[in-house]
Amino acid sequence: MEGVRVGKRMIGTQAPVTIGWENIPRVEGGPFKQAFFTWFQPAVLFGLILFWYYAPNSIAKASTAIGIGIGFRVLMLTMEHFFPRYESWRLTWKELATDLFYVGLGYTILNVVEDFIGAGAIIEAVQHSADWEKFHWFTGLPLLLQAFLISFIFDFGQYWMHRGMHNWYPLWLPHSVHHYITQLNINKGAVGNPVELFLIGLGVGGFFDFLPRAALLAGALGLAVGTYQHINVRFNTPRWWRFTFNTTEHHSLHHSQDFEASRSNFCNTWIIIDRFFGTCVDGEAELLGMEGGRRMSIREQMTYPFTEGWKSIKERIDRTRYGQTSAVPAE
Amino acid sequence: MSSTPIDDAPKPGLFDWIWHIRGEIPLAPGQTSEDAFDRVAPLFDARGTSHRRMGDTLTFDKKDPDAQDKMAVFDRGTLTVDRNGPAPALRYHLVSRALLLCFLAPLMFLSFAAITIAVGKMDTPAKEEAAKKKPEKKDVQPPQSVIDKWLGAPAPESLKKKADDANKKDDKKTKPTSAYVFAGIFAVLYLIGRFLEDRLIKAQFRKRLLGA
Repeated sequence: MEGVRVGKRMIGTQAPVTIGWENIPRVEGGPFKQAFFTWFQPAVLFGLILFWYYAPNSIAKASTAIGIGIGFRVLMLTMEHFFPRYESWRLTWKELATDLFYVGLGYTILNVVEDFIGAGAIIEAVQHSADWEKFHWFTGLPLLLQAFLISFIFDFGQYWMHRGMHNWYPLWLPHSVHHYITQLNINKGAVGNPVELFLIGLGVGGFFDFLPRAALLAGALGLAVGTYQHINVRFNTPRWWRFTFNTTEHHSLHHSQDFEASRSNFCNTWIIIDRFFGTCVDGEAELLGMEGGRRMSIREQMTYPFTEGWKSIKERIDRTRYGQTSAVPAE
Repeated sequence: MSSTPIDDAPKPGLFDWIWHIRGEIPLAPGQTSEDAFDRVAPLFDARGTSHRRMGDTLTFDKKDPDAQDKMAVFDRGTLTVDRNGPAPALRYHLVSRALLLCFLAPLMFLSFAAITIAVGKMDTPAKEEAAKKKPEKKDVQPPQSVIDKWLGAPAPESLKKKADDANKKDDKKTKPTSAYVFAGIFAVLYLIGRFLEDRLIKAQFRKRLLGA
Protein backbone atom coordinates (compact mmCIF):
# COMPACT_ATOMS: atom_id res chain seq x y z
CA MET A 1 0.00 0.00 0.00
CA GLU A 2 1.34 3.43 -0.94
CA GLY A 3 -0.07 5.51 1.87
CA VAL A 4 -0.43 9.28 2.05
CA ARG A 5 2.21 11.71 3.28
CA VAL A 6 1.00 13.79 6.24
CA GLY A 7 3.80 16.07 7.43
CA LYS A 8 6.83 13.84 7.85
CA ARG A 9 4.80 10.64 8.19
CA MET A 10 3.36 8.13 5.72
CA ILE A 11 -0.14 7.19 6.84
CA GLY A 12 -1.97 4.17 5.48
CA THR A 13 0.92 2.01 4.27
CA GLN A 14 -0.35 -1.01 6.24
CA ALA A 15 -4.13 -0.68 6.09
CA PRO A 16 -6.58 1.45 4.07
CA VAL A 17 -7.38 4.89 5.47
CA THR A 18 -9.02 7.99 4.02
CA ILE A 19 -7.05 11.19 4.50
CA GLY A 20 -8.46 14.71 4.07
CA TRP A 21 -11.97 15.99 4.79
CA GLU A 22 -12.68 16.44 1.09
CA ASN A 23 -12.39 12.67 0.62
CA ILE A 24 -14.77 11.70 3.43
CA PRO A 25 -18.33 10.77 2.38
CA ARG A 26 -21.20 12.95 3.53
CA VAL A 27 -24.70 12.05 4.68
CA GLU A 28 -26.91 11.93 1.62
CA GLY A 29 -30.67 12.34 1.33
CA GLY A 30 -33.29 15.06 1.44
CA PRO A 31 -32.77 18.58 2.81
CA PHE A 32 -34.27 17.71 6.20
CA LYS A 33 -31.98 14.71 6.69
CA GLN A 34 -28.93 16.73 5.62
CA ALA A 35 -29.84 19.60 7.95
CA PHE A 36 -30.47 17.20 10.83
CA PHE A 37 -27.09 15.48 10.50
CA THR A 38 -25.32 18.82 10.03
CA TRP A 39 -26.81 20.65 13.00
CA PHE A 40 -27.51 17.83 15.46
CA GLN A 41 -24.10 17.99 17.16
CA PRO A 42 -23.94 21.82 17.60
CA ALA A 43 -27.61 21.93 18.68
CA VAL A 44 -27.01 19.33 21.41
CA LEU A 45 -23.83 21.08 22.57
CA PHE A 46 -25.38 24.55 22.80
CA GLY A 47 -28.59 23.11 24.26
CA LEU A 48 -26.65 21.43 27.05
CA ILE A 49 -24.58 24.56 27.72
CA LEU A 50 -27.76 26.64 28.02
CA PHE A 51 -29.36 24.03 30.27
CA TRP A 52 -26.45 23.84 32.71
CA TYR A 53 -25.93 27.60 32.64
CA TYR A 54 -29.50 28.42 33.66
CA ALA A 55 -30.68 25.31 35.55
CA PRO A 56 -31.65 26.12 39.16
CA ASN A 57 -29.25 24.85 41.85
CA SER A 58 -31.78 22.17 42.84
CA ILE A 59 -31.48 20.61 39.34
CA ALA A 60 -27.81 21.36 38.54
CA LYS A 61 -26.53 18.18 40.20
CA ALA A 62 -24.41 15.20 39.22
CA SER A 63 -27.45 12.89 39.33
CA THR A 64 -29.13 15.00 36.60
CA ALA A 65 -25.93 14.76 34.53
CA ILE A 66 -25.91 10.97 34.92
CA GLY A 67 -29.55 10.80 33.81
CA ILE A 68 -28.86 12.99 30.75
CA GLY A 69 -25.78 10.88 29.94
CA ILE A 70 -27.78 7.63 29.98
CA GLY A 71 -30.59 9.16 27.90
CA PHE A 72 -28.06 10.47 25.37
CA ARG A 73 -26.45 7.03 25.05
CA VAL A 74 -29.83 5.40 24.42
CA LEU A 75 -30.50 8.02 21.72
CA MET A 76 -27.10 7.30 20.14
CA LEU A 77 -27.79 3.54 20.22
CA THR A 78 -31.04 4.17 18.36
CA MET A 79 -29.27 6.36 15.80
CA GLU A 80 -26.59 3.69 15.33
CA HIS A 81 -29.33 1.20 14.53
CA PHE A 82 -31.11 3.36 11.96
CA PHE A 83 -28.22 5.40 10.51
CA PRO A 84 -25.02 3.35 10.71
CA ARG A 85 -21.81 4.90 9.38
CA TYR A 86 -20.55 1.46 8.33
CA GLU A 87 -22.54 -1.78 8.03
CA SER A 88 -19.34 -3.53 9.12
CA TRP A 89 -19.60 -1.81 12.51
CA ARG A 90 -23.23 -2.79 13.11
CA LEU A 91 -23.97 -3.64 16.73
CA THR A 92 -24.68 -7.33 17.33
CA TRP A 93 -26.07 -8.94 20.46
CA LYS A 94 -22.64 -10.30 21.40
CA GLU A 95 -20.93 -6.92 20.87
CA LEU A 96 -23.60 -5.18 22.97
CA ALA A 97 -23.29 -7.76 25.76
CA THR A 98 -19.48 -7.42 25.73
CA ASP A 99 -19.62 -3.62 25.80
CA LEU A 100 -22.20 -3.57 28.60
CA PHE A 101 -20.06 -5.95 30.64
CA TYR A 102 -17.30 -3.32 30.67
CA VAL A 103 -19.74 -0.45 31.27
CA GLY A 104 -21.09 -2.49 34.21
CA LEU A 105 -17.60 -3.04 35.63
CA GLY A 106 -17.02 0.72 35.53
CA TYR A 107 -20.24 1.52 37.37
CA THR A 108 -19.82 -1.19 40.05
CA ILE A 109 -16.65 -2.88 41.23
CA LEU A 110 -14.19 -0.43 39.63
CA ASN A 111 -16.13 2.39 41.25
CA VAL A 112 -15.70 0.75 44.66
CA VAL A 113 -11.96 0.29 44.04
CA GLU A 114 -11.65 3.91 42.84
CA ASP A 115 -13.38 5.15 45.99
CA PHE A 116 -11.00 3.19 48.17
CA ILE A 117 -7.58 3.46 46.60
CA GLY A 118 -8.05 5.48 43.43
CA ALA A 119 -9.12 8.95 42.43
CA GLY A 120 -12.06 9.02 44.87
CA ALA A 121 -9.81 8.51 47.89
CA ILE A 122 -7.20 11.04 46.69
CA ILE A 123 -9.80 13.68 45.83
CA GLU A 124 -11.53 13.25 49.18
CA ALA A 125 -8.25 13.66 51.07
CA VAL A 126 -7.31 16.80 49.13
CA GLN A 127 -10.78 18.33 49.31
CA HIS A 128 -10.97 17.85 53.07
CA SER A 129 -7.60 19.43 53.73
CA ALA A 130 -7.65 22.30 51.22
CA ASP A 131 -8.99 25.77 51.89
CA TRP A 132 -11.25 26.40 48.91
CA GLU A 133 -11.73 30.04 49.80
CA LYS A 134 -8.27 30.58 48.31
CA PHE A 135 -9.74 29.62 44.93
CA HIS A 136 -12.26 32.46 44.84
CA TRP A 137 -10.14 34.13 42.14
CA PHE A 138 -11.10 31.16 39.94
CA THR A 139 -14.72 30.82 41.00
CA GLY A 140 -15.16 34.54 40.34
CA LEU A 141 -14.35 34.03 36.65
CA PRO A 142 -17.24 33.79 34.15
CA LEU A 143 -18.78 30.31 34.28
CA LEU A 144 -18.09 29.49 30.64
CA LEU A 145 -14.43 30.41 31.05
CA GLN A 146 -14.20 28.20 34.16
CA ALA A 147 -15.82 25.34 32.25
CA PHE A 148 -13.48 25.79 29.28
CA LEU A 149 -10.43 25.83 31.55
CA ILE A 150 -11.56 22.71 33.44
CA SER A 151 -12.29 20.85 30.23
CA PHE A 152 -9.12 21.97 28.48
CA ILE A 153 -6.74 21.34 31.42
CA PHE A 154 -8.31 17.92 32.01
CA ASP A 155 -8.05 17.04 28.30
CA PHE A 156 -4.45 18.30 28.19
CA GLY A 157 -3.60 15.82 30.97
CA GLN A 158 -5.49 13.05 29.20
CA TYR A 159 -3.66 13.85 25.95
CA TRP A 160 -0.26 13.28 27.53
CA MET A 161 -1.42 10.22 29.48
CA HIS A 162 -2.81 8.73 26.24
CA ARG A 163 0.29 9.67 24.23
CA GLY A 164 2.39 8.13 27.01
CA MET A 165 0.37 4.94 26.69
CA HIS A 166 1.36 4.74 23.03
CA ASN A 167 5.02 5.45 23.68
CA TRP A 168 5.97 3.67 26.91
CA TYR A 169 5.61 -0.11 26.91
CA PRO A 170 4.41 -0.58 30.54
CA LEU A 171 1.56 1.85 29.88
CA TRP A 172 0.93 0.45 26.39
CA LEU A 173 0.31 -3.06 27.77
CA PRO A 174 -2.97 -2.21 29.58
CA HIS A 175 -4.02 0.25 26.84
CA SER A 176 -3.32 -2.17 23.97
CA VAL A 177 -6.42 -4.19 24.87
CA HIS A 178 -8.65 -1.21 24.00
CA HIS A 179 -7.02 -1.15 20.54
CA TYR A 180 -8.23 -4.67 19.81
CA ILE A 181 -11.79 -3.37 19.30
CA THR A 182 -12.67 -3.91 15.65
CA GLN A 183 -15.60 -1.53 15.34
CA LEU A 184 -16.81 1.68 16.98
CA ASN A 185 -20.07 1.71 18.92
CA ILE A 186 -21.38 4.02 21.60
CA ASN A 187 -20.16 1.91 24.55
CA LYS A 188 -16.79 0.90 23.07
CA GLY A 189 -15.04 3.62 25.06
CA ALA A 190 -15.58 1.46 28.14
CA VAL A 191 -13.88 -1.61 26.65
CA GLY A 192 -10.41 -2.20 28.03
CA ASN A 193 -8.38 -3.98 30.63
CA PRO A 194 -9.54 -3.04 34.16
CA VAL A 195 -6.01 -1.80 34.98
CA GLU A 196 -6.34 0.80 32.23
CA LEU A 197 -9.89 1.68 33.28
CA PHE A 198 -8.55 2.23 36.80
CA LEU A 199 -5.65 4.37 35.52
CA ILE A 200 -7.99 6.51 33.42
CA GLY A 201 -10.15 6.98 36.53
CA LEU A 202 -7.13 8.61 38.17
CA GLY A 203 -8.00 11.83 36.36
CA VAL A 204 -8.27 15.21 37.96
CA GLY A 205 -11.91 15.82 37.02
CA GLY A 206 -13.22 15.05 40.50
CA PHE A 207 -11.09 17.84 41.98
CA PHE A 208 -13.48 20.30 40.41
CA ASP A 209 -16.42 19.01 42.42
CA PHE A 210 -16.22 22.18 44.51
CA LEU A 211 -17.42 24.11 41.45
CA PRO A 212 -20.47 22.04 40.54
CA ARG A 213 -21.95 24.26 37.84
CA ALA A 214 -18.65 24.86 36.04
CA ALA A 215 -17.78 21.16 36.36
CA LEU A 216 -21.20 20.19 35.00
CA LEU A 217 -20.71 22.58 32.06
CA ALA A 218 -17.29 20.99 31.41
CA GLY A 219 -18.95 17.57 31.66
CA ALA A 220 -21.51 18.69 29.09
CA LEU A 221 -18.63 19.48 26.70
CA GLY A 222 -17.28 15.99 27.28
CA LEU A 223 -20.71 14.45 26.70
CA ALA A 224 -21.57 16.50 23.62
CA VAL A 225 -18.14 16.08 22.00
CA GLY A 226 -16.23 13.17 23.54
CA THR A 227 -19.13 10.72 23.19
CA TYR A 228 -18.80 10.83 19.39
CA GLN A 229 -15.33 9.28 19.54
CA HIS A 230 -16.77 5.77 19.62
CA ILE A 231 -19.99 5.82 17.63
CA ASN A 232 -21.25 4.26 14.42
CA VAL A 233 -23.16 7.25 13.02
CA ARG A 234 -22.09 9.59 10.23
CA PHE A 235 -22.59 13.33 10.65
CA ASN A 236 -21.93 16.22 8.29
CA THR A 237 -19.85 17.78 11.03
CA PRO A 238 -19.39 21.55 10.47
CA ARG A 239 -15.90 22.68 9.51
CA TRP A 240 -15.32 24.78 12.70
CA TRP A 241 -16.34 21.78 14.86
CA ARG A 242 -13.93 19.32 13.26
CA PHE A 243 -11.13 21.90 13.44
CA THR A 244 -11.71 22.40 17.18
CA PHE A 245 -13.13 19.13 18.51
CA ASN A 246 -12.39 15.45 18.27
CA THR A 247 -14.72 13.52 15.94
CA THR A 248 -15.56 9.91 15.09
CA GLU A 249 -13.42 10.35 11.97
CA HIS A 250 -10.34 11.36 13.98
CA HIS A 251 -10.83 8.56 16.47
CA SER A 252 -11.45 5.91 13.82
CA LEU A 253 -8.01 6.78 12.40
CA HIS A 254 -6.57 6.41 15.89
CA HIS A 255 -8.03 2.88 16.01
CA SER A 256 -6.95 2.04 12.45
CA GLN A 257 -5.04 -1.16 11.69
CA ASP A 258 -2.36 1.15 10.23
CA PHE A 259 0.37 1.69 12.84
CA GLU A 260 1.25 5.28 11.90
CA ALA A 261 -2.44 6.30 11.81
CA SER A 262 -2.93 4.84 15.30
CA ARG A 263 -0.23 7.19 16.57
CA SER A 264 -2.37 10.26 15.95
CA ASN A 265 -5.40 12.04 17.46
CA PHE A 266 -4.75 11.33 21.15
CA CYS A 267 -7.09 13.88 22.76
CA ASN A 268 -10.58 13.22 24.12
CA THR A 269 -12.36 16.47 23.34
CA TRP A 270 -10.09 19.24 22.03
CA ILE A 271 -8.43 18.11 18.77
CA ILE A 272 -6.68 21.48 18.71
CA ILE A 273 -4.33 20.01 21.35
CA ASP A 274 -3.27 17.43 18.76
CA ARG A 275 -2.94 20.22 16.19
CA PHE A 276 -0.63 22.15 18.59
CA PHE A 277 1.64 19.15 19.02
CA GLY A 278 1.58 17.93 15.42
CA THR A 279 -0.22 14.66 16.10
CA CYS A 280 -3.54 15.51 14.40
CA VAL A 281 -4.44 13.71 11.19
CA ASP A 282 -7.77 14.57 9.53
CA GLY A 283 -9.37 11.51 8.00
CA GLU A 284 -11.12 8.25 8.80
CA ALA A 285 -10.71 4.46 8.73
CA GLU A 286 -13.11 1.54 8.55
CA LEU A 287 -10.74 -1.35 9.23
CA LEU A 288 -9.88 -1.15 12.92
CA GLY A 289 -7.95 -3.17 15.47
CA MET A 290 -4.65 -4.97 15.91
CA GLU A 291 -3.14 -8.08 14.33
CA GLY A 292 -5.17 -7.56 11.15
CA GLY A 293 -8.40 -7.01 13.07
CA ARG A 294 -8.37 -10.09 15.32
CA ARG A 295 -11.19 -9.80 17.85
CA MET A 296 -10.00 -10.47 21.38
CA SER A 297 -12.17 -12.44 23.81
CA ILE A 298 -13.03 -10.99 27.22
CA ARG A 299 -10.85 -13.64 28.89
CA GLU A 300 -7.82 -12.59 26.86
CA GLN A 301 -8.62 -8.91 27.42
CA MET A 302 -8.43 -9.56 31.15
CA THR A 303 -5.08 -11.37 31.07
CA TYR A 304 -3.28 -9.94 28.03
CA PRO A 305 -1.29 -7.13 29.75
CA PHE A 306 -0.01 -9.57 32.36
CA THR A 307 0.85 -12.45 30.00
CA GLU A 308 2.52 -10.08 27.50
CA GLY A 309 4.30 -8.25 30.31
CA TRP A 310 5.58 -11.53 31.72
CA LYS A 311 6.79 -12.63 28.27
CA SER A 312 8.70 -9.36 27.84
CA ILE A 313 10.28 -9.56 31.31
CA LYS A 314 11.30 -13.17 30.73
CA GLU A 315 12.80 -12.30 27.35
CA ARG A 316 14.76 -9.44 28.88
CA ILE A 317 16.06 -11.61 31.74
CA ASP A 318 17.08 -14.32 29.29
CA ARG A 319 18.88 -11.77 27.13
CA THR A 320 20.72 -10.31 30.12
CA ARG A 321 21.58 -13.66 31.70
CA TYR A 322 22.36 -15.79 28.70
CA GLY A 323 22.93 -13.23 26.00
CA GLN A 324 20.12 -14.85 24.01
CA THR A 325 18.42 -13.01 21.20
CA SER A 326 15.03 -13.59 19.64
CA ALA A 327 14.74 -16.79 17.60
CA VAL A 328 16.06 -16.38 14.05
CA PRO A 329 15.13 -18.83 11.31
CA ALA A 330 18.09 -21.21 10.74
CA GLU A 331 19.04 -20.55 7.15
CA MET B 1 -8.49 -27.63 15.82
CA SER B 2 -9.94 -31.02 16.71
CA SER B 3 -13.62 -31.19 17.42
CA THR B 4 -15.78 -33.82 19.00
CA PRO B 5 -19.23 -34.27 17.49
CA ILE B 6 -21.28 -32.95 20.36
CA ASP B 7 -24.27 -35.11 19.45
CA ASP B 8 -22.15 -38.03 20.64
CA ALA B 9 -22.27 -36.42 24.08
CA PRO B 10 -24.95 -37.39 26.64
CA LYS B 11 -28.54 -36.38 25.80
CA PRO B 12 -29.75 -32.86 26.66
CA GLY B 13 -29.49 -32.08 30.34
CA LEU B 14 -32.09 -30.28 32.38
CA PHE B 15 -30.29 -26.95 32.17
CA ASP B 16 -28.17 -27.04 29.03
CA TRP B 17 -30.84 -25.19 27.01
CA ILE B 18 -29.33 -22.14 28.70
CA TRP B 19 -26.34 -22.16 26.36
CA HIS B 20 -27.18 -24.91 23.84
CA ILE B 21 -29.35 -24.11 20.83
CA ARG B 22 -30.97 -26.95 18.95
CA GLY B 23 -33.25 -26.94 15.94
CA GLU B 24 -33.99 -28.39 12.56
CA ILE B 25 -34.76 -27.22 9.04
CA PRO B 26 -36.58 -29.55 6.62
CA LEU B 27 -34.57 -30.27 3.48
CA ALA B 28 -35.95 -29.95 -0.02
CA PRO B 29 -37.10 -33.29 -1.47
CA GLY B 30 -34.12 -35.15 -2.89
CA GLN B 31 -31.53 -32.78 -1.40
CA THR B 32 -28.31 -34.64 -0.57
CA SER B 33 -26.15 -34.10 2.53
CA GLU B 34 -23.38 -32.82 0.31
CA ASP B 35 -25.62 -30.23 -1.32
CA ALA B 36 -27.01 -29.14 2.06
CA PHE B 37 -23.55 -28.70 3.55
CA ASP B 38 -22.30 -26.93 0.40
CA ARG B 39 -25.08 -24.41 0.82
CA VAL B 40 -24.28 -23.63 4.47
CA ALA B 41 -20.49 -23.87 3.97
CA PRO B 42 -19.97 -20.06 3.47
CA LEU B 43 -21.03 -19.60 7.10
CA PHE B 44 -17.95 -21.57 8.14
CA ASP B 45 -15.50 -19.80 5.81
CA ALA B 46 -14.86 -17.20 8.47
CA ARG B 47 -11.72 -16.19 10.32
CA GLY B 48 -11.06 -18.35 13.41
CA THR B 49 -13.47 -21.07 12.26
CA SER B 50 -12.50 -24.65 11.48
CA HIS B 51 -14.98 -27.24 10.26
CA ARG B 52 -14.97 -30.88 9.25
CA ARG B 53 -17.45 -32.95 7.25
CA MET B 54 -17.93 -36.67 7.88
CA GLY B 55 -20.76 -38.16 5.83
CA ASP B 56 -24.01 -36.77 7.19
CA THR B 57 -22.31 -34.74 9.93
CA LEU B 58 -20.53 -31.39 9.94
CA THR B 59 -18.73 -30.18 13.08
CA PHE B 60 -17.18 -26.79 13.67
CA ASP B 61 -15.14 -24.84 16.23
CA LYS B 62 -14.57 -21.12 16.55
CA LYS B 63 -11.86 -19.07 18.21
CA ASP B 64 -12.01 -15.26 18.42
CA PRO B 65 -14.57 -14.92 15.61
CA ASP B 66 -15.00 -11.53 13.94
CA ALA B 67 -17.67 -9.26 15.37
CA GLN B 68 -19.71 -9.48 12.16
CA ASP B 69 -19.39 -13.27 11.81
CA LYS B 70 -23.00 -14.49 11.47
CA MET B 71 -22.22 -17.29 13.95
CA ALA B 72 -19.94 -15.27 16.27
CA VAL B 73 -22.03 -16.11 19.31
CA PHE B 74 -21.33 -19.87 18.98
CA ASP B 75 -18.11 -21.63 19.96
CA ARG B 76 -18.75 -25.08 18.53
CA GLY B 77 -21.53 -27.18 17.13
CA THR B 78 -22.73 -30.05 14.99
CA LEU B 79 -25.00 -30.13 11.94
CA THR B 80 -26.49 -33.49 10.98
CA VAL B 81 -28.61 -34.51 8.03
CA ASP B 82 -31.24 -36.76 9.58
CA ARG B 83 -33.04 -39.15 7.23
CA ASN B 84 -34.72 -41.24 9.92
CA GLY B 85 -37.79 -39.04 10.32
CA PRO B 86 -40.80 -38.75 7.99
CA ALA B 87 -38.91 -36.14 5.93
CA PRO B 88 -35.14 -35.46 5.73
CA ALA B 89 -34.01 -32.51 7.82
CA LEU B 90 -30.88 -30.66 8.84
CA ARG B 91 -30.60 -30.85 12.62
CA TYR B 92 -28.24 -28.49 14.41
CA HIS B 93 -26.86 -28.35 17.91
CA LEU B 94 -24.86 -25.22 18.72
CA VAL B 95 -23.05 -24.29 21.91
CA SER B 96 -22.56 -20.69 23.06
CA ARG B 97 -20.29 -19.72 25.93
CA ALA B 98 -21.41 -16.09 25.44
CA LEU B 99 -25.01 -17.06 26.30
CA LEU B 100 -23.84 -19.00 29.36
CA LEU B 101 -21.71 -16.11 30.62
CA CYS B 102 -24.54 -13.66 30.00
CA PHE B 103 -26.85 -15.95 31.97
CA LEU B 104 -24.36 -15.99 34.86
CA ALA B 105 -23.51 -12.25 34.67
CA PRO B 106 -26.39 -11.21 36.98
CA LEU B 107 -24.85 -13.41 39.70
CA MET B 108 -21.54 -11.61 39.25
CA PHE B 109 -23.20 -8.20 39.57
CA LEU B 110 -25.15 -9.37 42.62
CA SER B 111 -21.84 -10.42 44.19
CA PHE B 112 -20.48 -6.93 43.38
CA ALA B 113 -23.54 -5.54 45.20
CA ALA B 114 -22.71 -7.70 48.23
CA ILE B 115 -19.07 -6.50 48.15
CA THR B 116 -20.25 -2.87 47.89
CA ILE B 117 -22.51 -3.31 50.94
CA ALA B 118 -19.71 -4.99 52.92
CA VAL B 119 -17.22 -2.27 51.98
CA GLY B 120 -19.77 0.42 52.86
CA LYS B 121 -20.25 -1.07 56.34
CA MET B 122 -16.49 -1.11 56.89
CA ASP B 123 -16.13 2.44 55.58
CA THR B 124 -19.00 4.17 57.46
CA PRO B 125 -17.53 4.24 61.04
CA ALA B 126 -14.28 5.75 59.70
CA LYS B 127 -16.22 8.45 57.87
CA GLU B 128 -18.35 9.25 60.90
CA GLU B 129 -15.19 9.55 63.00
CA ALA B 130 -13.64 11.89 60.44
CA ALA B 131 -16.83 13.99 60.29
CA LYS B 132 -16.80 14.42 64.08
CA LYS B 133 -13.18 15.59 64.05
CA LYS B 134 -13.76 18.14 61.30
CA PRO B 135 -14.04 21.71 62.66
CA GLU B 136 -17.23 23.56 61.76
CA LYS B 137 -16.44 25.98 58.91
CA LYS B 138 -18.06 29.39 58.71
CA ASP B 139 -20.50 29.82 55.88
CA VAL B 140 -19.04 31.73 52.93
CA GLN B 141 -20.85 32.83 49.79
CA PRO B 142 -18.63 32.17 46.72
CA PRO B 143 -18.25 35.07 44.32
CA GLN B 144 -20.14 35.26 41.03
CA SER B 145 -18.80 36.94 37.91
CA VAL B 146 -20.63 40.11 36.92
CA ILE B 147 -21.07 38.67 33.44
CA ASP B 148 -22.92 35.64 34.83
CA LYS B 149 -25.00 37.91 37.07
CA TRP B 150 -25.88 40.09 34.09
CA LEU B 151 -26.79 37.05 31.97
CA GLY B 152 -29.07 35.77 34.74
CA ALA B 153 -27.25 32.57 35.82
CA PRO B 154 -28.39 31.38 39.28
CA ALA B 155 -26.15 32.51 42.14
CA PRO B 156 -23.73 29.78 43.34
CA GLU B 157 -24.54 27.88 46.52
CA SER B 158 -22.72 28.68 49.75
CA LEU B 159 -19.67 26.56 50.65
CA LYS B 160 -21.47 25.14 53.72
CA LYS B 161 -24.39 23.96 51.61
CA LYS B 162 -21.92 22.41 49.16
CA ALA B 163 -20.10 20.65 51.98
CA ASP B 164 -23.41 19.30 53.32
CA ASP B 165 -24.29 18.04 49.84
CA ALA B 166 -20.85 16.49 49.51
CA ASN B 167 -21.38 14.64 52.81
CA LYS B 168 -24.72 13.37 51.53
CA LYS B 169 -22.92 12.25 48.36
CA ASP B 170 -20.40 10.34 50.50
CA ASP B 171 -23.30 8.36 51.93
CA LYS B 172 -24.36 7.45 48.42
CA LYS B 173 -20.90 6.40 47.30
CA THR B 174 -21.11 2.88 48.55
CA LYS B 175 -24.68 2.09 47.48
CA PRO B 176 -25.12 -1.11 45.48
CA THR B 177 -27.90 0.28 43.23
CA SER B 178 -25.86 0.24 40.03
CA ALA B 179 -24.87 -3.40 40.62
CA TYR B 180 -28.56 -4.33 40.97
CA VAL B 181 -29.37 -2.36 37.81
CA PHE B 182 -26.70 -4.21 35.81
CA ALA B 183 -27.86 -7.57 37.21
CA GLY B 184 -31.29 -6.70 35.81
CA ILE B 185 -29.86 -5.47 32.50
CA PHE B 186 -27.98 -8.73 31.97
CA ALA B 187 -31.00 -10.85 32.91
CA VAL B 188 -33.02 -9.05 30.21
CA LEU B 189 -30.07 -9.18 27.79
CA TYR B 190 -29.84 -12.94 28.26
CA LEU B 191 -33.53 -13.44 27.48
CA ILE B 192 -33.21 -11.27 24.37
CA GLY B 193 -30.04 -13.09 23.25
CA ARG B 194 -31.43 -16.59 23.83
CA PHE B 195 -34.51 -15.77 21.76
CA LEU B 196 -32.82 -13.60 19.12
CA GLU B 197 -29.77 -15.76 18.38
CA ASP B 198 -32.01 -18.84 18.11
CA ARG B 199 -34.17 -17.10 15.52
CA LEU B 200 -31.27 -15.49 13.63
CA ILE B 201 -29.34 -18.72 13.15
CA LYS B 202 -32.47 -20.57 12.11
CA ALA B 203 -33.17 -17.84 9.54
CA GLN B 204 -29.56 -18.06 8.28
CA PHE B 205 -29.71 -21.82 7.80
CA ARG B 206 -33.15 -21.65 6.22
CA LYS B 207 -32.10 -18.85 3.84
CA ARG B 208 -29.03 -20.75 2.68
CA LEU B 209 -30.63 -24.19 2.47
CA LEU B 210 -33.81 -23.21 0.74
CA GLY B 211 -32.53 -20.11 -0.99
CA ALA B 212 -35.51 -18.28 0.57
